[in-house]
Amino acid sequence: MSNGSITCPEYKARLNTAASLVDTVKTQIRQGVLRKRNLVWLELTGCSGNIISLLDGSNPDFEYLISQMTHFIYNNSLSASEGQSAMEQLFSVLGSDYILAVEGAVATKNNGFYNIIGRLNGKPITALEALKTLGEKAAHVIAIGACATHGGFSAARPNPAECVSVQSVLNRKAIKLPGCPCHPDWFMGTLAHILLYGEPELDNRDRPLLFYSTLIHDRCPRRSYFDKGIFAKKLGDKTCMFKLGCRGPVTPIDCPIRQWNQYVNWPIEDDTPCIGCAQFGFPDAMEPFISYNTTREVKK
Amino acid sequence: MTKKIIINPVTRISGFMEIQADIEDNRVVDAKTEGLLFRGFEKMLNGRNPFDAVYFTQRICGICSTAHSMASTLALEDAMGVIPSEQGRYLRDIIHGCEFLQNHIRHFYQYTIPDFVKLPENYPLFKAEHNDFRLTKQKNDRLVKDYFDSLDLSRSAHEMLAVLGGKVPHNHGVFIGGISTQATTDKIIKIKSILHSIYQFINDRMLPDVYTISEYYKDYFTIGRGYGNLLSFGCFNDYNDLGTLYVNPLVYTNGRISVFSPDNITEEIDYAWYKDRQRTDKPFEADPGRMASSEAQRNDQPEADMSKPQAYSWVKAPRYNNLPFETGPLARQWLSGEYRNGISTMDRTIARVLEARKIALILNTLLENLIPGVSVQKEYSIPKTAAGKGLIDTTRGALGHWLKINNQVISFYQIITPSAWNLSTRSCNGMKGTAEQALIGTPVKDINNPVELGRAIRSFDPCISCATHIYTGGKHINTIQVIP
Repeated sequence: MSNGSITCPEYKARLNTAASLVDTVKTQIRQGVLRKRNLVWLELTGCSGNIISLLDGSNPDFEYLISQMTHFIYNNSLSASEGQSAMEQLFSVLGSDYILAVEGAVATKNNGFYNIIGRLNGKPITALEALKTLGEKAAHVIAIGACATHGGFSAARPNPAECVSVQSVLNRKAIKLPGCPCHPDWFMGTLAHILLYGEPELDNRDRPLLFYSTLIHDRCPRRSYFDKGIFAKKLGDKTCMFKLGCRGPVTPIDCPIRQWNQYVNWPIEDDTPCIGCAQFGFPDAMEPFISYNTTREVKK
Repeated sequence: MTKKIIINPVTRISGFMEIQADIEDNRVVDAKTEGLLFRGFEKMLNGRNPFDAVYFTQRICGICSTAHSMASTLALEDAMGVIPSEQGRYLRDIIHGCEFLQNHIRHFYQYTIPDFVKLPENYPLFKAEHNDFRLTKQKNDRLVKDYFDSLDLSRSAHEMLAVLGGKVPHNHGVFIGGISTQATTDKIIKIKSILHSIYQFINDRMLPDVYTISEYYKDYFTIGRGYGNLLSFGCFNDYNDLGTLYVNPLVYTNGRISVFSPDNITEEIDYAWYKDRQRTDKPFEADPGRMASSEAQRNDQPEADMSKPQAYSWVKAPRYNNLPFETGPLARQWLSGEYRNGISTMDRTIARVLEARKIALILNTLLENLIPGVSVQKEYSIPKTAAGKGLIDTTRGALGHWLKINNQVISFYQIITPSAWNLSTRSCNGMKGTAEQALIGTPVKDINNPVELGRAIRSFDPCISCATHIYTGGKHINTIQVIP
C-alpha cells in the first residue's frame, strides 16, 4: 500500500491511539476499575448508516461493546423488543447515568412530525421530542455522523423536512463526530475516552482532536503529486485528485492513516476524490463531488 | 368485537414504521403499514451536478447504499448514452453482490432471529416482551452463538465491498462505466478468500439455522402471503458472455410469468401525506424535447401535507398494471425457478438465505471472469439536456431511479424503492399495499403481545429510510408516456 512509504513516527502513534485507549478500557473494566455505563443509541432523521458502520467495527467489535464496555439499552435497528415495550426500554434510562449516542438530524417541520420514532402510551414521539427529553439529562451526548453533527444530507437544500443538528436543539454540549458515515473507531475511541478519562480534548467545534486534528491533504499518500503539480484527469488515475474536486485540503480527519472496513481501503486509494464527508457543511458546501472541468479552470 | 393493535416502533428494520391492525376473533381483519420518516431527497437533487447523484442518492439508506449507487449510475449511463464494458459490469456487480451478502446476513441474524430465538436476557438490548420461543435449549443456544458469530461475516462482506469500493456504507467505487479503480490480482484474491469464508458460513450455519426455525414455526408457512404478485427488474443478468447468472426482468401474477415492461409502472399518492392529487402518475417522461416547455411544471411537485384526512404514511403506492406487487429475494427465487415452495413469511425468510448462497456463487463466477488491472474509467461530460432511467433488482427488490438533466444540472429525479413496493399505502380504489394484505388473516394469539405481526412484516425486510423520502411525481407527468 502506498501508506507504507511514509515513515513519520507520528503517523503510527496516531493510528495506535484509539486502539490503545480501548485496550486500556478493556483492562480496567476487567480489573473492576471502570464500571460499565448505560448507552443509548438513538436513530433520528437520517439513513441509519452509522449503526451499520458501528457493526463494521472490530477490536472492539459490537459484541465487545455490548458485553464488556456498556449496558447497551436501546437501538431501533437492533432492539429485540418493539412497540410500547421498546419505548419503555428507551426512556427507562431517565433518572440513571447514561451516555447518549445520536445519529441522524432532527426534523423540525410540523413540530417534528416528519419523523416519529415510536409511540409511548399511545402518544407519538417525534425525533425532536425524544432528543430534547433524553439529550438534556444524559451524562454525555455524542452526535454521530454528518446529519447529527450539522444536518448533513437530511438538511441538504432546500431542506424539505427542516432538519437541524443535534446541537441546535440542546442547551448543552454535544461531542461531534462528523463523517458520512462515522468510522466505528471514531466512535469507539471517543466512548473509550469518556469511560476512562471523561470527555476527550475537543477542537473549537467540539470534535475530538484525537481523530480530527489534521487535514487529509497533509497526510495524503498522493501529496507528492500535488506538490509536483501532477493531477489526475479521471477517476482511476493514481495521481493527485485535487482537480477532480478532492476535498482533502479542507477536511481534517484521519482517513489516510486509518482507512476503512478492516483498514482495507479508503476513497483516495480507490482512485476517487475525497468528498469532504467528515467536514461541516457536507454535502452542500462540498459539491460538486466529481467534476472533470470546473476545478481545472485555474486563473493564470 | 374489533380490537385495534398499534406497534410503533417496529424495531429491527431500517427506519421508522408503525403497524396498525384491527383484530376480530384473534385474526387480523384490517391493517395499515405506515412509514414515519420524510426527508425529500428527490427535491434536494434538483439543480445539482448529475455526476453527484451517485454519491448523493446513497445517503438515502445506510444499509443498502450501494443499491442506490447502482440505480443512479445506470440512470446516468442511460441519459449519457454510455455503455459499460463487460469488465466494468462484472466489477460493479461484484460490489453490489457484496452488499447483498452484508444485508442478508444482518437481516437474518440481527433483524429476524430475535423474533424466533431467545437471546441472552442479561443484555438489555435483547429483552423481549413475548414468550413464543419454541426451539429446544440446545438449538436455541446454537442460534444465539450464530447471532454473534455472524457479526464477523457481515463485517467481512463489507470489507470485500471496500476492497473495490473504497469504503462502506456509502461506497466510492460504483460509477459510470463500472467502477472507479482497477481490480488488481491482490484485490481479487483477497475478495475470493473472504468470500470463501462467507460461503462456508452460509452453507454450514445460516441454511441449517433457517431450516431449524422453519421446523419449529411451521405455522408461518401459512401466514403473511399477500397477493402473490411477484416482480423483479432483474439482476446479475444479460451478460454478453455469461448470460443470465440470476434473474431476468419478470413478473408473476395469476400463476403466470411474463416479461416485465417499465411502461406498466405507475405511482399513486391518495393515502400518502402529499397534497391534493387523486391520480396515477407514470414515474418519468423521457422526451427531452418537451422539457423546456415543462420547466415551470416540473417544479410543481406535490408538497408534503400531513393534514390530508385519509393519508397515513409517507410511502406512496407504486403499482404494476395497477396492481400491488411483492419484490425481493422470494420474488427473485420464484421468478428464476430456484425456489417455489410457497409465498409466506417463512418462505420469504428461507428465500433470503438461499439467495445469500446463490449470490456468493455468482460472485465467485464474476471474480473468475475478471481480467486483472483493467481500467474502465473515461473523462465524461454532462449532456446539456438528457433523460435516463436505471432499473435494477437490489437486496430488497426492484429499485428504479429516473432522472432528467437540463442545462447540465439535474432537473428531475424520481426514486421508487423496493420497500415502497412492499410497504406501500393503498391504491386510489382502496386496494391495500402488499404487506398490508399479507397481514390480513394473521392469527394473533395474545393481543397484548402480537409478535406475529412483526414477524410477518420483517420478512419483507422493510427499509423505511428508503421508502419514505419519495417526493416527486410532478403533475405534468401523468399525461406523458414512459419510454421503455
